[in-house]
Amino acid sequence: MDLELLHFQILSAALFSIGLYGVLARRSAVLVLVSIELLLNAVNVNLIGQAAFVDRPPDERVFGQVLAIFIITISAAEIGLAMAIVLRVFRNRGTANADELDTMKW
Amino acid sequence: MSANVNVNLLTPEFILAGMGLLVLSLDLVLPKARRGILPWIGVAGLIAAVATALIYRWDRVEELYGGVFIADRYSLFFFAFLVILGGAVMIASVDYVKQHIKFPGEYYGILIFSILGMVLMASAGELLTAYIAMELLSFSLYVLVALRKYDSKSNESAAKYILLGAFSSAIMLYGISMVWGVTGTTFYDGIAAHLTANPDLDIGLIVGLSLIVAGLGFKVAAVPFHMWAPDVYEGAPTPVTAYLAIGSKAAAFALILRLFSEGLLPAIEDWRVLIATLAAATMVLGNLVAIRQENIKRMLAYSSIGQVGYLLLGVASLGVVDAGGAVVFSERASTGIMVHLVGYAVANLAAFLVVAVVYSRTGSDQISDYRGLAKKSPYLSLVLSVALFSLAGLPFFAGFVTKFYLFTAGAEAGFLWLSGLAMVASLVSLYYYLRVIQRAYVDQPSEGDEETAVERSTFFVPLTSWLMLGVLFVGMILIGVWPTELAAAADSASDALGTVRDVSTALVR
Repeated sequence: MDLELLHFQILSAALFSIGLYGVLARRSAVLVLVSIELLLNAVNVNLIGQAAFVDRPPDERVFGQVLAIFIITISAAEIGLAMAIVLRVFRNRGTANADELDTMKW
Repeated sequence: MSANVNVNLLTPEFILAGMGLLVLSLDLVLPKARRGILPWIGVAGLIAAVATALIYRWDRVEELYGGVFIADRYSLFFFAFLVILGGAVMIASVDYVKQHIKFPGEYYGILIFSILGMVLMASAGELLTAYIAMELLSFSLYVLVALRKYDSKSNESAAKYILLGAFSSAIMLYGISMVWGVTGTTFYDGIAAHLTANPDLDIGLIVGLSLIVAGLGFKVAAVPFHMWAPDVYEGAPTPVTAYLAIGSKAAAFALILRLFSEGLLPAIEDWRVLIATLAAATMVLGNLVAIRQENIKRMLAYSSIGQVGYLLLGVASLGVVDAGGAVVFSERASTGIMVHLVGYAVANLAAFLVVAVVYSRTGSDQISDYRGLAKKSPYLSLVLSVALFSLAGLPFFAGFVTKFYLFTAGAEAGFLWLSGLAMVASLVSLYYYLRVIQRAYVDQPSEGDEETAVERSTFFVPLTSWLMLGVLFVGMILIGVWPTELAAAADSASDALGTVRDVSTALVR
């Protein structure tokens, strides 16, 4: 069986769904961040698949790959910043669980 | 591929970036006692940037890098508005930063970078650029919210903000990847061309556009994506809260306005009802939940969610379908959005500045603690009342005129019910604004009551805050009684939307 666009789309959708579940269901802020990484990589898989298998002019094709590289870079910065903030929360409170961040409600 | 890119056109942006770096690095070499000049250096840089932009780009309509960056009247309007707004926030935070924040260099430097992100959001002509500009703004805001490092409320709200912010941008990126997959382009005009050529929307495009709308909904805190806003607003340092409520929203609407009018307008029939529903839910929920808030920052947070509802009403009315079935761009709606953004920004900044000054003296954000404010500081309570009246939309103040522009545009585009709902929502908002004013002016301590935090403390308003409040006060009245100049500027900015521009290079297309 040859690889085709559909496989990439299914992989991407699956990664996206797993990430979405993780963001909504995980307690630990660190694991929420891991799930966000899954979401972003779902985007990358989608872009690379579209760039490789859809028939387009070459410069449009390259654009999808450029987009993916940008996303990798930005997500690295984002996770670094988020980890720093989660670390601050952990230092101040002794916990990094998302459901214990509840001093402010409604 | 020719590459005669006119980089000079970007001079104002370069000035902003350079100023950010300069302020950050000056912080390293200046002795602690001299760091008070940092905000003024920043403000001077911002003034220089606005002046350069106004002189250099006044009559210029140009695209850079094949349409990635657009310089036209619309970008110019938002450049001036957002940079002046950023400068006002910078001046407004001088006293607060001196008292509560240990890292002035980082605060002001990052603030300037976030301004750069905002202006780029307004000039971006393509989704990836818009996304990167938005991330520059968001990253700066994450840091600013967390800047009171040892305050656990500040940490908590920063953690909530960055987790939900990263989540929402991932969702938006998935939307962008779907849109690119279907249309093969991320340029707004390319998307518009695709939508015109294929009036029946592909399912992938529908999913992609909905995900983009959801991601942007998170950024502007529209219901049902608003959950983060009150918590983040409450925990953030007060000037940053003001900046979040005004700057990030104004910039996100600058992006939305360009995206929807230049990119998605041909498909307006498919999204206008969706946006109108979001608008209705946002204005109703924001204003109703604001009623029961005891913390003034949370109350203003919910009230700003309500304001987003009004602005979304303008977005839903961006296009009118004429008798022949063609979609016509409604300049009234986009002018209404811009004018309302300005009026809202001035009033909200004034309100938050009063809250910041009161917090600096009393350490409390509770509405119940505002009793006695009129006696302790008539000036503060006067400005607060005018700001709240303006937000509610009473005549003579900025909010009335700007809401008038916005709601008429909505009614003209066929959303009479939504404009009616917006007016009812404004009436509801008057109730909780008046509660604060009543607290400050009317309430008397009865027998056996404890003294409130305001009554306990000695009061004086620091000079910079005093002057800034005066400027904002005059601004609110001025826009309220003489809005023609502002409306004319916004009008010429909306003229620029959707018009054909010179393409200085064909780099990508």
